[in-house]
Amino acid sequence: MAVSVRDRRMGGFSELGIGRAASFAGMLLLAIAIQSTLLAQATVLGVIPQLVLVVVVSLAFLDGERVGTVVGFFGGLLIDALLPGAIMGLTALIFTLIGYGVGLLRYMAPPDSVWTPVLTVAGASAVAELGYAALAIIMGQRWVSLEETIKIAGLVVLYNTLLTPFVFPLIKRVADRFRPERVIRL
Amino acid sequence: MYRKPGRGRVLLLVFLALSIIVITIDYRAGSGGILRTAREWSVAVVAPIQRGFTTVVRPVGNFFASIGELGDLRDENKRLKDENEQLAAENTQADETLEENARMAELLELEEAWPAMDNVHAQVYAKDAGNYGEGVYIDKGREDGVRPNMPVLAPEGLIGKTLSVTAHESLVVLLVDTNFGANARVRGERDTGLVRGRGSADPLTMILIGKNSEVEVGDEVTTSGLDEIYPPAIPIGEVIRAEVRGGQASKTIEVEPYVDIAKLDKVMVLMPDGSATGGVAGED
Repeated sequence: MAVSVRDRRMGGFSELGIGRAASFAGMLLLAIAIQSTLLAQATVLGVIPQLVLVVVVSLAFLDGERVGTVVGFFGGLLIDALLPGAIMGLTALIFTLIGYGVGLLRYMAPPDSVWTPVLTVAGASAVAELGYAALAIIMGQRWVSLEETIKIAGLVVLYNTLLTPFVFPLIKRVADRFRPERVIRL
Repeated sequence: MYRKPGRGRVLLLVFLALSIIVITIDYRAGSGGILRTAREWSVAVVAPIQRGFTTVVRPVGNFFASIGELGDLRDENKRLKDENEQLAAENTQADETLEENARMAELLELEEAWPAMDNVHAQVYAKDAGNYGEGVYIDKGREDGVRPNMPVLAPEGLIGKTLSVTAHESLVVLLVDTNFGANARVRGERDTGLVRGRGSADPLTMILIGKNSEVEVGDEVTTSGLDEIYPPAIPIGEVIRAEVRGGQASKTIEVEPYVDIAKLDKVMVLMPDGSATGGVAGED
């Protein structure tokens, strides 16, 4: 397993071929489109599942902290860009940290357990929701009530967790296809 | 397990720095410049995919929605008509002072202002992807004459205003958004106040300036026309709670919007003065 570490050092973005970068971009765009249409229409109790976060966590979990960092930043920025009246960059900041954190955490998790990605998404969703709320309030955004914040955070954790068993295998399939040879040896 | 953390950490620092730069630019410069371009690009790139999904799902969605809605709308319509008639009757029966009559006449005249305005019809094709901001995307943009800060209406009443506009799409900030504010009045009363959103789960609040108004639960709240965006007499919602806080010169009122923001479909963008930006509404 240690072999892969040496290969990974081969180069910052050189392992990120065009096809691979395009596959990440495609997954993020598809995720935000689904999140803002299908998932936004089929909300239960008015709360939208955060599919983009599930994608970011899945990719970080599969491909490590560097992919997690980059995908987290751009995924978060995309969400920020579509929000009304929010400070741009807040979600990007949080998703960047989550992508990096999940990428590191995976080395400590039992690799083949079905539960690992599910629990990782649950934890990451809680951190993302509460982290965003805290940052937005600190930055002086007008905010909803505390009960509402907790309700939203709780439901997002639940919905994201429920989505993971369906989303994670799909992302794994796409990510596996575009992953360069020398990284796959892990 | 041995790992060399070097590159991952550098990359993390780079992207954290980038995030903070973006936050700083947005915080300082507001909505202009490079970030606006980034937003417009993002909206334009995602829009075709979103419209694709919406088109595929709409027939089914509408089918279910329309069954429930038809009844709702009929009830709502009937209720509003009854209410209207009742109010009209009360108004004529009431032995009002000359001053009040004059005021009512003025109101009626103002009421004709917004239905006569230029407008463009649009279709909601997506929501924002977040749970805190409350916005929807409509399929009309700059090339259709839409500009930022134009009022947007659904058949039931006000839903918000346009916030940012790209060539073929616009982001509408909904009246339940925590950043939303509009000057409003309780129909038939003199005092005006500010209506604000508190998120999709809570009713709007209205701070009514002055204690003279006799506001009761069930009263209709409309735009007042006193701000630069909304023409007067657009229905906003219904008073569901009204209380005077001791010692304050204002009343706090809760208002339930007429529009069900979960079911937005066809909307109308009002264009005061053709397509000028934020023209002073209600002036003839």
